[in-house]
Amino acid sequence: MFNYSFRWNQAFQSLPDMLQGALVTLEVAVLSMILGILFAILLTSFRLSGNRVLRGITTTWVEVARNTPALFQIYMAFFGLAGLGIAITGWTQPHLGFAVDLRLSPYVALLAGITFNNAGYLHENFRGALKAIPDTQTRSARSLGMSAPQAFGYVVMPQMLRISFLPMTNQFVWAILMTSLGAVISMNSDLFGVTDNLVKINFRTFEMFAIAAVIFYVMTKIVTLSARLIAARLFRY
Amino acid sequence: MKSKVLAFGLTAATAFAGPAMADKLDDIIASGTLRCAVVLDFPPMGSKDADNNPIGFDVDYCNDLAAALGVTAEVVETTFPERIPALMSGRVDVAVASTSDTLERAKTVGVSIPYYAFENAVVARPGLEMASWEDMKGKVVGATAGTYEAIWLEGQVKAWGAGEFRPFQNQADVFLALSQGQLDATVGTMEVANANVASGNFGDIKVVDKAPMVPDYVALITLREEYGLINYMNLFINQQVRTGRYAELYKKWVGEGVPANLTITGVYR
Amino acid sequence: MFETAMTAKDFWMLVQGAGMTLLVTAISVAIGTVVGVICGIFRFQAGPWWAIPVTFVLDVCRSVPLLIQLSLAFAFVTAVLKLRISGFSVACGVLSLYTAAYCSEIVRGALESVPPNTRRAGRSLGMTWLQDMRYIALPLASRVALPSWIGLSLGVMKDSALIYVVNVSELMKSTKDLITRLQEPLFLLLLCGVFYFVISFPVARFGSYLEKRWSND
Repeated sequence: MFNYSFRWNQAFQSLPDMLQGALVTLEVAVLSMILGILFAILLTSFRLSGNRVLRGITTTWVEVARNTPALFQIYMAFFGLAGLGIAITGWTQPHLGFAVDLRLSPYVALLAGITFNNAGYLHENFRGALKAIPDTQTRSARSLGMSAPQAFGYVVMPQMLRISFLPMTNQFVWAILMTSLGAVISMNSDLFGVTDNLVKINFRTFEMFAIAAVIFYVMTKIVTLSARLIAARLFRY
Repeated sequence: MKSKVLAFGLTAATAFAGPAMADKLDDIIASGTLRCAVVLDFPPMGSKDADNNPIGFDVDYCNDLAAALGVTAEVVETTFPERIPALMSGRVDVAVASTSDTLERAKTVGVSIPYYAFENAVVARPGLEMASWEDMKGKVVGATAGTYEAIWLEGQVKAWGAGEFRPFQNQADVFLALSQGQLDATVGTMEVANANVASGNFGDIKVVDKAPMVPDYVALITLREEYGLINYMNLFINQQVRTGRYAELYKKWVGEGVPANLTITGVYR
Repeated sequence: MFETAMTAKDFWMLVQGAGMTLLVTAISVAIGTVVGVICGIFRFQAGPWWAIPVTFVLDVCRSVPLLIQLSLAFAFVTAVLKLRISGFSVACGVLSLYTAAYCSEIVRGALESVPPNTRRAGRSLGMTWLQDMRYIALPLASRVALPSWIGLSLGVMKDSALIYVVNVSELMKSTKDLITRLQEPLFLLLLCGVFYFVISFPVARFGSYLEKRWSND
């Protein structure tokens, strides 16, 4: 009893690999944020477009993203989409003569899953931010001769992005944490994937995950602190 | 660099220590239950029937071991990667889970003599023609993380310098990915590969070739320091072969044919 | 495409999984909220410096992936301390702390939103600190906090999909077990998604209804 032998040495030997993995984690998180913001803006414009079909797309995306687990979304992006491709092919192949391939690599599936999630939550952040921007601004922009997209792009959107800057950093932290779910779909180059694979060979579960936890903590701290610095610089007026 | 949590140990020893010499073997007999870790997405060694009850060669071996000890068996489902953590954390007493007796694992757990030996097969996804195992070069291959075949396969991919290796969390996901074409090929034990091909659940996957690996001897495992139990398990495995139970269960779960020889000429164990 | 080998018994297994998800969520949210409220009030009252230890621990819970928290806690409790604790208890413990971490943030934010003058007025009427908290600060703060708290509870419900790593057969694990046997990934995954959606969506809608109603007064 109580005679667990810690083997920190063995764990620390893997540190270079884990730091390499941390870079991949950051890469996925950054890409998913950029794509997430773009999709969220697209969804926002869909919602404001007045077209029922486009609004329906926004509602479906946002509600599914916010009401199902991220793990489910990522699993779906990898196994579900591929299965969907096969199911569709089962119909198109005999009738139309072509196959549908929806197989994503683990990296792309993870990125797609997190982006889907990000876009859903960011859309809600943007919606809250838009409420804070008075309608009169759009109207005055329009009366200056701007078209509706121009008024949105030049007047409303910059303010929207600024107001939702802090919620966005929160989402960024979540994106970093969500990369850990990639291991479920055989992603093995990110921080969690690298750690998890080593653990399954050397069984130093506690030591390895403790180190990974510290790296994750440092990463998220760097992100939140630099976001605060950037915010202080950019929005000082 | 080993540091032991002695402070806890001392206080705990005074609080919980039973009879000084009681080891795991005594504990199991005293408690009346043998808790076995078994992997249940690994037919015919371990799987679940329609009522979610565990069945398979490993399940029967666990029951036999429990019967020999005069206790009742409790099958605890684990995935391949979870087997050893489950053992280390005391959730199970032994793992009857087709565990390859690698030297790396023996650093952490105690390993019995082999109770079964697998040949490993290369299995290709539906629609992919492969002539031999070497056609895996440059392909996307995968296996269950941390297993004997996964470590071999990852090493091959590195040696080839081409292709991609993907580790999955459990055996089921590997075959799911294979049947959906997210993997071009996997390496798995011949018995399991044949069972999965025969089940028809995975589309048109097919066994291509034997993998050129040293036969995969699998052993019962328990905690490293439990010599009494390891000794008992060794004798148990010997008796299973001697009494013909080994051949009987082979026939029941794997099929006709001669079960693998568990001895190696030219060396003791 | 949707002819399935699934039996009523298999469906019942999914329902049981969903029940486990709800049970773990309920326990974790209950414990986490109590701890979170206490920590939130403490952090608000003690000021940033004195609250550093509490803030740090809770901050770690929000900065480390839940998957690692669960694996780490399980390895520590069972392999290092060698305690015989079920995965269920570990899952509840970790998720409670996780809930507490976010909850204390919500509570602190909500208390900060109560105008100090209102509270000073209360105190100058001779109310004790406890009375002021009980009758003025917390009722006002709860209006701000409740919608976020509902969101948090739903978040915990969804994040509980990860407790499969400590061998708890909740909804996601039941689904994967069924996929292993039936080999109908698409259908079963969609069904699993529907389960989560059906649990989460009405509550989320109620939350945004409250938010809308209470922010306009």
